[in-house]
Amino acid sequence: MVEPFIKADVPVLVQGATGRSGRSQTAQMVAYGTNIVAGVSRRDDPEAKLPLFRTCTEAVKATGARASVAFVPPLDVLPAILEAIDAGIELIVTVAEGMPVHDALKARAATREAGMRWVGASTPGLAIPGSLKMGFLPNVSLAPGSLGVMSKSGTLSYEVCYRLVERGFGQTLWVGVGGDAVKGVRFADLVPVFAADPATQGIVVVGEIGGNEEEELAAALLASGCTKPVFALLAGRSALEGVTMGHAGALIQENVGTIETKTTALRAAGAEVSQTIKDLVEAVTATLGHTL
Amino acid sequence: MMLLEHHAKELLAAAGVAVPHGVLVTAADDGETALTLPPPFMAKAQVPVGGRGKAGGILKVKTATDSAPLIAKILGMTIRNHPVRSCRLEALVDYVAEAYFSLAFDANEGSIKILVAAEGGVEIESEEMRAKLLRASAVPDPVATTAALETLIPALPVALQWPIRELGSRLIPLFFEKEALLIEINPLFITRNGWVAGDAKVLTDDNALPRQAEMRGLIERFPDLYPEAALKLAQGFDFVQLDPQGDIGLVTTGAGLSMQLVDEIVQRGHRPFNFCDIRTGGFKGDPSRLIQVLKWVASGPNVRSVLMNFFAGSTNLAELVPLILQALEAVPELRQPITLRMTGNGLDAARKILEGSGNPIHVETDLERAIDRALAAAGSAAHG
Repeated sequence: MVEPFIKADVPVLVQGATGRSGRSQTAQMVAYGTNIVAGVSRRDDPEAKLPLFRTCTEAVKATGARASVAFVPPLDVLPAILEAIDAGIELIVTVAEGMPVHDALKARAATREAGMRWVGASTPGLAIPGSLKMGFLPNVSLAPGSLGVMSKSGTLSYEVCYRLVERGFGQTLWVGVGGDAVKGVRFADLVPVFAADPATQGIVVVGEIGGNEEEELAAALLASGCTKPVFALLAGRSALEGVTMGHAGALIQENVGTIETKTTALRAAGAEVSQTIKDLVEAVTATLGHTL
Repeated sequence: MMLLEHHAKELLAAAGVAVPHGVLVTAADDGETALTLPPPFMAKAQVPVGGRGKAGGILKVKTATDSAPLIAKILGMTIRNHPVRSCRLEALVDYVAEAYFSLAFDANEGSIKILVAAEGGVEIESEEMRAKLLRASAVPDPVATTAALETLIPALPVALQWPIRELGSRLIPLFFEKEALLIEINPLFITRNGWVAGDAKVLTDDNALPRQAEMRGLIERFPDLYPEAALKLAQGFDFVQLDPQGDIGLVTTGAGLSMQLVDEIVQRGHRPFNFCDIRTGGFKGDPSRLIQVLKWVASGPNVRSVLMNFFAGSTNLAELVPLILQALEAVPELRQPITLRMTGNGLDAARKILEGSGNPIHVETDLERAIDRALAAAGSAAHG
C-alpha cells in the first residue's frame, strides 16, 4: 500500500471550492470516487453540493478532513498552504500555474517545519486509480495497475500513461510533482513510498531538463537499495539554453540540469532511460509484460 | 527570465552597486549612441547565456574608426543559438584584483545560497574554482541572509572584506525585493579605491511579474530583446522560435509533451521551427491565440509541414475543433500540409465537426502515426 504517503479513502477538503475551476474540478473528483468532505471559500455558493466553510480550521473541525487540494490563483497559493498548516492538514496538493518562487521557498520551509506533505507548486495532482484523485489527472490515462509514476510534466505524463494503459499497465499511485524550480514533494521523496509498496512492480519517471531533481532521484535510488525496475523519460534534449521552455524549472544554465547529467546519473542508478515515448513503453512492456 | 547584462547592471546601479559606465546599442541604432563613449571601450554582445567571450562576442574597441565595424560584427552574431540583438558598450575598468559573489536559491533545501570567492573572472563550474568558493546558506529572508554572509567575511582576504560586505548590503535587499532567482557578480573588480561589478547575471521570476511592476515595465519597453517573456506577459502562452530554417511547424499544448515532440523530431533528422505551449485551457472560446501561432508558423520560410497535437485530458475536443477551423480560415497563407493529432474528451463529436466542415485536414489519434505523417509530408530530412 502507498498509505504512508496517501490513503485511498482519506477525507479531502477543497480550498477555493466556489471558483470556476474549483467547482467543476470538485465535481469531477467526487465523480471519480474521492472522499471529498468539505469545501473552503470566503464566498457563499447556493449551488454548492458540499458543506462549505470559511476556513480550513472550521472545515477540519466539522468534517475531519486530513488532506486538501487547493484551486486558488497563483498569488494565493502561499496563504492557502499556511492556512492548511494551521488546520493540521497532513497533505496538500496545489494546482495553480505560476506560483512565485519566493513564495514557494517560504511554503517549502513552512511545510517541512510542520511535517506537511506538499505536492506542488503547480501540478495536475495525484491519483490512486479507481479510488482517489486530487487534482485533474485525466481519466483516460488512469487505471489501477502496478506502476508507480512520478512526473514533472502534466501533458507528457498523460501521453505516457495513456499509452501504458493501452498496453495494460496501470498505476498504483501517480504523483505529478510539477515543473517548478522550487516545490514540495520531489522525485527522491517518492522512492521510499514506491520501494516499500508491494503492489508497485516498476517505477516510471517523467522528468525534464533543469534543476537537479533527477540527479537527486538517482542518488536516492542507490541509497535505498530499491531493486524495482525504473523507467525514465527525460524531455528537453533540444531545448534552448537561457530561455524558459514553458516550465519555470526547465531553464538550463551552463552545465547544470542537462539531459546528459541526468541520463548519466539515472543509468548509474540502474534506471532505463528512454529517448522516445515509444521506447519507454516498449521498455516497460519488455520488463514487466509477464506480470500482466 | 535572464536579464541581459545591460539591464542587469541598470538594476544593480539603481540599488547602489557600482558598475562601469555603459550604453546599449541595437541594430536600429543610428550610430549616435556609440559616439557618447570615447574609445577605448568594450563592446559586449547581449545574450542570455554564458560563454560570450569564448564565442567572440566581447571585443575591445581601441579607436573611433574601429567602433562601427566591430559593433556591427557583434550585432551580426548568433551565440549558442541566440541571435545578438543588442550590444553593451562599456568603459574599461582599471582593477587590481577580481572576486566572485552570488546569491541564489537551493531548491532542495528551500534556502538562499551565498557563494563568495577571492578570485573571479573564470568559470564558476570549474573544479578548481569550486574548491575555492566560500559557501553559506540561510532561510529565505534578508536578515538571515545578511547574517549568513557575515560568517564568510573573516575568511576573506582583508582587502576584500569591505567590498564584499558593501556589495552584500546592496544585493541582498535587491534579491528579495525584486524576487530574483540568481544574482551573480563575476568578476567583481577591486579597484585602487573601491569596487565595481564587471559582469552581472540576474535571473528573475516570471511568475512574480504580476507583482513586480518594474520588471513588467522592462519587458514592455524591450519586447524585441525579450520576445518570449513579452509574449508570455501579453498573451499568456509560450512560443519559442528554435530554428529559423526549421521544416516542421508545431502547434502543441503542454510544456513537457511539446518539448518531447521537439526532441523526437530532431532525433528523426528534422528541424522543428518552434516550441509552443499554446495552453488550450486559456482559449475560452477565442481563436486568437491559434491564429497568432499559425501566422508565425506560416512565416517560417522553410516550414513544409505542420503538426498539431492536442491531448484532451480536461479540455473538450468538440469545443477546440471549431476554433481550429476558424483560425485556419483566418490564416489563408498557411498552405503547408497539416497533421492534426487529437485524442481524449469529445473525440467523436470533434471528428464529425471536421468532416462536416469539408476541411481536408488529416486527423490521427495515435501520436506516433501523426509524427510519421507530419515528417513524411515535409519530405526528406532537412540538413544544414
